Amino acid sequence: MSAFAKYRHAFLVGLQSNIIYRWNFGIRALFSLFHLAFVFILWGAAYKGQTQIGGFDLNQTLTYFILLLVMQFFIGAFNEDYQISEEIRNGLINQFLLKPVNYYGYRFSIFLAARSVSGLLGLLPLLVALPLLKDHLVLPSEGWRLALGLPAMVMAGLIQFTIAYCFGLLSFWFLEIQSFIILSLAVETMLGGQMFPLDLMPGWFFRVSQFLPYYYQMYFPTAIFTGRLNQAQAFEGLALQAFWVAALLGLAHLLWTRGLRRHTAVGG
Amino acid sequence: MKPLAYLRIWLACARYSVVRTMMFRFDFLMWSLVEFFWMGVNLLLVTVIYRHTDEVAGWGKYQMLLLIGTSMLVQRFIMGFFWSNLFEMARNIRSGHFDFFLAQPGNPLFMVSTRKLDLDGIANAVVAVGVIGYAARELGLAPSLAGLALYALMIFCGVLINYGVLLAIVSLTFWFGASQGIEGSYFTLMEFSRLPREACRGVANVLFVWLLPAIVVSNVPARVLLHGFEPVHVLWLAAAAALWFGLGVFVFNRGLRRYASASS
Repeated sequence: MSAFAKYRHAFLVGLQSNIIYRWNFGIRALFSLFHLAFVFILWGAAYKGQTQIGGFDLNQTLTYFILLLVMQFFIGAFNEDYQISEEIRNGLINQFLLKPVNYYGYRFSIFLAARSVSGLLGLLPLLVALPLLKDHLVLPSEGWRLALGLPAMVMAGLIQFTIAYCFGLLSFWFLEIQSFIILSLAVETMLGGQMFPLDLMPGWFFRVSQFLPYYYQMYFPTAIFTGRLNQAQAFEGLALQAFWVAALLGLAHLLWTRGLRRHTAVGG
Repeated sequence: MKPLAYLRIWLACARYSVVRTMMFRFDFLMWSLVEFFWMGVNLLLVTVIYRHTDEVAGWGKYQMLLLIGTSMLVQRFIMGFFWSNLFEMARNIRSGHFDFFLAQPGNPLFMVSTRKLDLDGIANAVVAVGVIGYAARELGLAPSLAGLALYALMIFCGVLINYGVLLAIVSLTFWFGASQGIEGSYFTLMEFSRLPREACRGVANVLFVWLLPAIVVSNVPARVLLHGFEPVHVLWLAAAAALWFGLGVFVFNRGLRRYASASS
């Protein structure tokens, strides 16, 4: 069986198992509209009496948050870390040690399937709310934003997944990894631009954040699409993002090989 | 069973939780850090917004900090005293382990709600009090003892409201067994407790101020510190507490009737 066929099957199986949870994704997407309402109320109140904050008007900021939501459903890691952790703790990972299947490739195929389902379902409530949102959507029309934004989005997905994968692999060392994951989520929420656009931070803080992987998870592709970064910043960012993809893939490989040395497979 | 007996049970559970926490000290430290970081995220949001504006819906930076600190304090109490218990209740209903609570000689709701304490949540309540104290000092507030007592009472009402909402949401598991993630809706709703009431207009005002208790749980206690005793607001919160606590208990009791265990 060719390598592509193997992972295509994993993708299709992932697609089927994720469609089973369509209601979960749907409900999650519905509640994300409440979060969007919170964002609209808070930033709407903050913009009262002024037309611009940090060089952007209210609609530009709201567009940022709407697109951020779309990104979360298409490239965000939901519970991949827990799934990997469970497979290690329950010994389900043993089967991959005996088969010619790369565990990262297998999990990534399932991640792609899961995000295809959650991404499309996540769009549904947004489409329903479109009549209310469309007046606030202001996307720049420059073609280069799409050309640079799409690879940035793909690499952001890789970073998202690989960080989740690394946290899942911590189960080789720790029995309970939930606190690590939620701690990392707090840092990611702050430094990934999910609470506020990072460019509203003081200049030095914004510059430091550009050297961290969190910047490239959600903020970077969203900022390219919504006009918060110029072309030079986008090119520089893509290079740094590629570095983080490579570094995290290296870390994932290291954790996998080191973790397997500690792993004990028991049972028939 | 007499109230004193329930107090003894609760104290025994609290002692067990403390001993358990001391056994897993690293875990306690990590979870304390988790909660601390999440509080930091919310404070940072306030700091960033007020870098660019002087007021949000008429609330200045330190008034907003007072509001956020109040919202955090209510949340920390919920996380410390009830979250794990109610979260596990949903899992236990699905797995059938809920039988264990029904077999105990006491009120099932009390047994379910008070089995565990999360000391990290309670420890971070101190941080929330610190935020409130800092904001109050910057605002030059000097509440009297009666004012502080009223504030504490309002916080208690806020905790009751949160408990009622959470209980009602989790009790839905009696009907929709495989409802993973339904608890997340509670956090989505309570996100609104960090907003000033004046920011909500139109439909948002009807939904989040009048129909759902999201705004009132933090705004009324914060107003008690800022503006003193306002009978209408205080009565509003007390009535909302009675209503939502009652609703939570009602949904739980109705759900209990449907429970048919899951074991063989």
